[in-house]
Amino acid sequence: MADVKTYLREWAMPHVLCPGCAHGIVMRGFLAAIDQLQLDQDKVAVVAGIGCSSRIVGYIDFCTLHGTHGRAPAFASGLKLARPDLHVMVITGDGDGLAIGGNHLIHAARRNIDITVMLLNNSIYGMTGGQAAPTTPEGAVASTTPAGNTEPNFDACKLMIGAGASFVARVLAANPIEMSKVIADGVRHPGFSFIEIISDCPEYYGRYNKVGGGADMLTWMARRDAGVAVPLSEKKFVEHVPSSAVPLGMTTGVLERDIRPVFTGVRRQEPL
Amino acid sequence: MSEGTRGLLLSGVGGQGVILASMIVADALLGAGFDVKQSEVHGMAQRGGSVFSHIRWGEDVDSPLVPKGSAEVLAAFEWAEAIRWVEYVREGGAVVADVRTIVPPGACNDRRSWTARYPGIDVDLFNDRELKTRLIDAAATATELGNVRAANSVLLGSVAAFLDIDMAHWESAIERLVPRGTVEINLAAFRAGREFPQARVPRPPLAPEGFSGPHEIDINHVWCKGCDICSRVCPEYCLAVDVDGKLNIIDPEACTGCRLCELLCPDFAIEIHPPRSPVAVSDANTAGGGT
Ligand SMILES: Cc1ncc(C[n+]2csc(CCOP(=O)(O)OP(=O)(O)O)c2C)c(N)n1
Ligand code: SF4
Ligand code: SF4
Ligand code: SF4
Ligand SMILES: [Mg+2]
Repeated sequence: MADVKTYLREWAMPHVLCPGCAHGIVMRGFLAAIDQLQLDQDKVAVVAGIGCSSRIVGYIDFCTLHGTHGRAPAFASGLKLARPDLHVMVITGDGDGLAIGGNHLIHAARRNIDITVMLLNNSIYGMTGGQAAPTTPEGAVASTTPAGNTEPNFDACKLMIGAGASFVARVLAANPIEMSKVIADGVRHPGFSFIEIISDCPEYYGRYNKVGGGADMLTWMARRDAGVAVPLSEKKFVEHVPSSAVPLGMTTGVLERDIRPVFTGVRRQEPL
Repeated sequence: MSEGTRGLLLSGVGGQGVILASMIVADALLGAGFDVKQSEVHGMAQRGGSVFSHIRWGEDVDSPLVPKGSAEVLAAFEWAEAIRWVEYVREGGAVVADVRTIVPPGACNDRRSWTARYPGIDVDLFNDRELKTRLIDAAATATELGNVRAANSVLLGSVAAFLDIDMAHWESAIERLVPRGTVEINLAAFRAGREFPQARVPRPPLAPEGFSGPHEIDINHVWCKGCDICSRVCPEYCLAVDVDGKLNIIDPEACTGCRLCELLCPDFAIEIHPPRSPVAVSDANTAGGGT
């Protein structure tokens, strides 16, 4: 296996993300997945919207497009229809993909177009200063919900299953080996693949909710998991668990995998 | 411009508390009975951009903007910001600058030399224009007092040393504006900054370390942000981040090559290479065999 830095625009590094921001871990995990798949770098097209998560496309050495806020699935759909030979992927955030861009996302899923969407969920709008997102859990503090969020949050995976996505998975940035494997599975899957990657934002979410810095947030994330993932390093992870954070149980792993006709712009009976 | 109006500039990078500091200055000036106008730019602060604030005070102030070459004092919360704004200071004016360097990502991407394109400290820049200077390691002073976050009050204290405003106004502004529970430490930091000995030699900016070549644990100090993730997840306690935010290898012998640090580093800044002369596979297989 090659060094993940083969796929990195090293001249653009270091990246702009804050110290300890898990989006950087996800970027690495994504590159490791591409490396596992041994795809031709020039045949990989990655589209992003706007947000800290979406900034990732500035640093990865594929065909990349940093589009407009929330519209990455729309750009990606157009690209896949015009260039079916490309592996088209989307990197989006929870604000980008589920708030302003929720509509584009559900319709791409409904069509079962063959793209892979990675949604980096840090439960907050990181880039603009920690405002509440549709994913902010009830009770959590954001800059717009200083006394705690009073609204319920989306379960992005349930939303995508409901909208018709044929591959739906949830993974944790704190578990990078599983993350890369599931991303690779999603890319291989024919049809619309949605992978919610639980990331974090130490700068806003961590600070406002007193979870702590990057390392504390990873611990906390591993603790939130009610599914298959296991904390990576028992010894240190456990010893630093901050007490104030209320873990929110969630299931990880592949939650939906279905083979159904793929949208290519023309009617087809068989999957590609 | 009305006669007798004076100006002050504060500048820094996002997250340093420049805006709060400028509110404190404005509040102290108001308390001293001046007319005060203040204006700030805090655009891309969250992404490491520069933040600055203009303050003007006098009998009757028309505009908050400090014209070039007229500022009484420049308070720079970061070294490059001092250089960026020094032209705004009047001949014989004062510069209070933190010698900390916060290298913006765009300035440290030379991958051949692994060095940052970042200005070094050149005191002539100030001496040529006969500026009074105080170059301070405010973070170190604040850390000594017990909280690094009070660094901006250390700088403010130094600013106060150049302005003829009664201490009571400064102190009441600080009491009013800093977050509750931090008043004591900020007042202490303010006093320390005010009494800062002029002769204290500043620490030169830390030059990013050269790329150290193939080690078993290979740290790229230019990319590392000192977030502490690797050191906290390492099961063998091989790594530690020091007070300057620099990652050090404290126990190279203990590394088992598990690569947790590498997989969880958000900045691609640590790599683990296998030992240079690995045990031959056949030897490893036969050694201690016999189940
Ligand atoms: C049309 C439009 N509206 C609003 C914005 C401001 N904006 C930029 S990023 C962002 C939220 C991003 O949140 P998320 O997708 O969760 O990304 P994160 O930074 O958390 O990774 C918003 C609202 C914008 N850039 N464009
Ligand atoms: S603001 Fe939050 S999401 Fe954005 S780079 Fe910083 S830590 Fe990451
Ligand atoms: S490879 Fe494992 S043991 Fe070695 S420094 Fe990294 S985390 Fe520690
Ligand atoms: S995880 Fe990476 S960025 Fe953070 S301290 Fe370690 S090497 Fe530096
Ligand atoms: Mg977000």
